[in-house]
Amino acid sequence: MAHIAPEIFNGLILGAFYAVVAIGLSLIMNLTGTINMAHGSFMTLAGYLAFALVGAGTNYWYALAIAPLMAVAVGILMERTMIRPLYRRDPVYSLLLTFGISLIAEEAFRLIWGPNGVPFSPPKGLGGGISLGFTVFPVYRLFIAGALVVIILALVIFLQHTRYGLRLRAAVQDREMISALGTNTQLLYMVNFGLGILIAGIAGVLAAGMLGLNPQSGNSLLMPAFVTVIVGGMGSLFGAIVGGLLIGLAISLTTLYIPAASEIAMYVIMAVVLLVRPRGLFGEEGIFG
Amino acid sequence: MSEPLLRVENLNTYYGKSHILHDVSFEVGKGELVALLGLNGAGKTTTMRSILGLTRPRSGQVALDGVSVAGSPPHRIARMGVGYVPEGRRMFAGLTVLENLQLAENGRKGDWSIERVLQHLPKLRELSGRKAGRLSGGEQEMLAIGRAIVSNPTLMLIDEASQGLAPLIVQEVYRLIEELKQDGVAILLVEQNALLALKIADRAYVMDEGRIVYHGDAAALLKDRERIADLMGLNAGELAS
Repeated sequence: MAHIAPEIFNGLILGAFYAVVAIGLSLIMNLTGTINMAHGSFMTLAGYLAFALVGAGTNYWYALAIAPLMAVAVGILMERTMIRPLYRRDPVYSLLLTFGISLIAEEAFRLIWGPNGVPFSPPKGLGGGISLGFTVFPVYRLFIAGALVVIILALVIFLQHTRYGLRLRAAVQDREMISALGTNTQLLYMVNFGLGILIAGIAGVLAAGMLGLNPQSGNSLLMPAFVTVIVGGMGSLFGAIVGGLLIGLAISLTTLYIPAASEIAMYVIMAVVLLVRPRGLFGEEGIFG
Repeated sequence: MSEPLLRVENLNTYYGKSHILHDVSFEVGKGELVALLGLNGAGKTTTMRSILGLTRPRSGQVALDGVSVAGSPPHRIARMGVGYVPEGRRMFAGLTVLENLQLAENGRKGDWSIERVLQHLPKLRELSGRKAGRLSGGEQEMLAIGRAIVSNPTLMLIDEASQGLAPLIVQEVYRLIEELKQDGVAILLVEQNALLALKIADRAYVMDEGRIVYHGDAAALLKDRERIADLMGLNAGELAS
């Protein structure tokens, strides 16, 4: 128990990261059909920006707020100028475009911040550990867990209880009809893309202090996040949360017991889920649940 | 004569390379109910889509109250006061009845509100928490019309409101359409069931192969069933009553 409990907790945190990244990917994928291969790059970008801001003397909390917003600005610029012209085309075009952007971004990070990663430690207030009786757990990880829960709750409230969230859910079902009812869909796409980048950016800054910050750190979360989307079921918010936690736990526990299998654990889960439920655990057709 | 509410002039619309609408011109006056008749594939739905900007016309004019809107995006045309009740209703099936109505609130001021729509259609109030996909066809048609009214349109485009509905429900839907007309809303009513539409319309246009082939007074046309049959390419016996 003493050694497994922290691993379960770590697995859940890791899973919450996957869930948050998966939700951002799903938001963008469901509404516009864009498979954003550059999603991880925006996490890394926000992480590096926060690192640079803190290095320049900015308070950690400001950096945590500002760096994701700067990533959103870059994301919206990319959506307006490069992805938007591809909306009417086959999704493979935007997939290739964003894949290319992620390669360029990775190289740019390497040029600016070096290939080996940079140390980005959490602020002093979040250092140290808390004794849970049988084990000592780092405060920063507890903070991350709380922050990820807040992000997910905020997103659920936004989607389920605001006018804009309603329009997003409706647009996923019928983009044309929503425009015929007076909603500017181009604006909706932009806000939606920005929202996906915003949560990726916050997750990126949070992850930098726990998982490290290097040119590939965001991309290393991207694959598990895609698997999360598939396991949870396309378009299901709840599915992304459950799927993310499941995969996080699986990776964490296999690392503890059968380290060699940790890389394939999530693919095994994906294969089993797809065999039993081809739409994923909570998959419906294009509806945010 | 004052400017009509909707004026369509020499509209030409294509889907890819196929030329669908050929120089379509017609008008709908303020508060007028105009029937647009024709067989399946005559171009009625494409005409509506072209007015609303869902399919961009290649040439021609669409003017709302004298303001040219051809080429504008659909949301802008909708906010100028065009309500759309599409063929097949196109409910947001996964959203509730109330949410479907809320989606149509686009800031246009007027007498209609969700509250008034629910007062007018008490059935929808009872069902307001239900997912729209679970409603019957008639209930969905009512909701589709209700959703269009919420935005306080001055012109409603109603496409095949009677399709797939039982006769009694059709009567109910048509009563609602007449009430809207009495409320001063101009209506362009697309129907395959010509007799049904002509009974409540002021004027009628008939389309065939993407062209307007007839235009006249609805009451007069209604009396001349042979003419209708001829225009619609049917035997007189085939006209549904």
